[in-house]
Amino acid sequence: MSYFLFIVKSALEDFKRSKMQTFLTSLGILIGVFAVVTLTAMGLGLKKYISDQFDSLGTNTLFVAPGKLLQSGGFGASSLLGNRFDLKDLNRLKRVRSITAITPLSSKSGEAKGSRKSEFVTIFFSSEAFFDITGFEIDKGRFLDKSDIDKRAKVLVAGPKIAEKLFGSINEALDKKVSIDKVTFTIIGVIKSKGGGGFGGPDYDSYFFGPYTTGFIFDPDKKFIRFAIKTDENINISTVKEEVKNAMLKRYKDDEFSIVEPTEILSVVNDIFGIMNIVLIAIASISLLVGGIGIMNIMYVTVSDKTKEVGIRRAIGARKNDILFQFIVEAVALSILGGALGLGLAYLGILLVQPYFPAYMDVTSVVLALGVSSAIGIIFGVLPARKAANLEPVEAIRYE
Amino acid sequence: MIRLEKITKSYKIDEETTFYALKESSIEIKEKEFVSIIGPSGSGKSTLMHLIGLLDKPSGGEIFIQGRKISNLNDDQISSLRNEFIGFVFQQFNLIPKLTVLENILLPSFYTRKKLNYDPHEKALELIKRFGLQDKENSYPNKISGGQQQRVAILRALIMEPKMILADEPTGNLDSKTGTEIMELLKTLNEKEKITVAIITHEVDIAAYGKRIIKIKDGKVEK
Repeated sequence: MSYFLFIVKSALEDFKRSKMQTFLTSLGILIGVFAVVTLTAMGLGLKKYISDQFDSLGTNTLFVAPGKLLQSGGFGASSLLGNRFDLKDLNRLKRVRSITAITPLSSKSGEAKGSRKSEFVTIFFSSEAFFDITGFEIDKGRFLDKSDIDKRAKVLVAGPKIAEKLFGSINEALDKKVSIDKVTFTIIGVIKSKGGGGFGGPDYDSYFFGPYTTGFIFDPDKKFIRFAIKTDENINISTVKEEVKNAMLKRYKDDEFSIVEPTEILSVVNDIFGIMNIVLIAIASISLLVGGIGIMNIMYVTVSDKTKEVGIRRAIGARKNDILFQFIVEAVALSILGGALGLGLAYLGILLVQPYFPAYMDVTSVVLALGVSSAIGIIFGVLPARKAANLEPVEAIRYE
Repeated sequence: MIRLEKITKSYKIDEETTFYALKESSIEIKEKEFVSIIGPSGSGKSTLMHLIGLLDKPSGGEIFIQGRKISNLNDDQISSLRNEFIGFVFQQFNLIPKLTVLENILLPSFYTRKKLNYDPHEKALELIKRFGLQDKENSYPNKISGGQQQRVAILRALIMEPKMILADEPTGNLDSKTGTEIMELLKTLNEKEKITVAIITHEVDIAAYGKRIIKIKDGKVEK
């Protein structure tokens, strides 16, 4: 048996003899590691989820939104409150040559009555171009077409999730009537699942999609919340942006609208999560620091308790460094124990929230958690271990 | 083999008073000897034992081990001497409670920097068998008798094949029958294995096992 294994074994033997003390001591590290792993897993998951949402929109897409959507690294509040666009804007933008498709977007939420039950739903009102821009695929029935828009047809395309909820199955939903706020629609198609849902991004599977002209029933002002644009692949996207901007500037001031690419939103999302991660790590560091101090404290107690043992070991030939090493290994074992328990707990926690939240644990956080706990053991174990190593052999062995 | 020359050990009690545990005492222990150091409590014999065992440093004088000046050695070198040269046996056995009999016996071998020409694990098992501790190798010290514990301590002292065994009141915590067994064992080691044995005691009949007796009183060696 190597010396290293031997001292690890004897440290574990000590832990076995004082389970409660060991557990309480490692609790600080446990909580710290649990917090940092769980929170970063949630952050990571959320980030991945949002990225996936925007990735699915493709690269040749632009959004025109009211207000300043992206301001100094964050989403501007005015984008939710500011002025909204109308048909004049739509017609003006349609004349921009570098645009291949455009759809206005507005939405309406309300109670939908199906054959099975009622659900609170959201309808996205758009033109037939929406499906081309977003890359949705049809599963059953058909998409909206130009005549639906022209005729203000009371038809809807359903997401697969909401179709199932309201009618029991996707097949059942087709050609059925659904009434929302006293307006009765016919379901003409169901899209293929876009996945995701839950938190942080639109859950397209639970939405209805209808003609924007029909949406005016609910909005006599005939306003849109934004435009989604598909650009000509052969034209540089910044050129398109410039043309769209010039078109918009004919009616609005520079700060009354924004033109964003999904990739820009992604970089903002990345910035936000970068900052969030730093904050999380700072909070977790405090917990780990407190945990480390707890370990240092208990290691000082252990050194006192083991003065006699140190004396015996020194008498039979242990060097100062042997004693130093022994106590550092013990401190590291203690903090890794806490780290591993915290990691295990975090794993369980993540499994538990995964059905509701896109939490996602990566190898980096596992390696980091164990690495950080070892480092804490070493840093906070060194001083007590030095105290043990520097005990005078003769005094240590006389100690009772 | 080990020589203490005009050794003084003093402790400052306060600004004016200094206590002398040992005063200019000289002792020599030769190879293969069996020496008893006898003295009443407070005579300085424990201090002497700590100095011979290199657990403590003298305030004055010099200790030589096989001609080497101890004051020239650093802490690691002194640790190695304690590890390889001397085997300790204590009154309170001083086994480590959380380690098994076998692990206690092997402990010095974990600390050695010397390449051993034998396998300590095999040697420990062989010693355990030879000294009647078979079936106890995986027991913990608190599960065996005092006499057995002292035997484990002696085996721990023997595992590194030391030149000298230094025993401090080895029978002090044992009944007289077990004490006699332990003394006989030390005697055998001296006679058969040619290991130098130095024991420290306050009992005359224990001291009598020694082929030479050194008396110590009030911090001074009596001639």
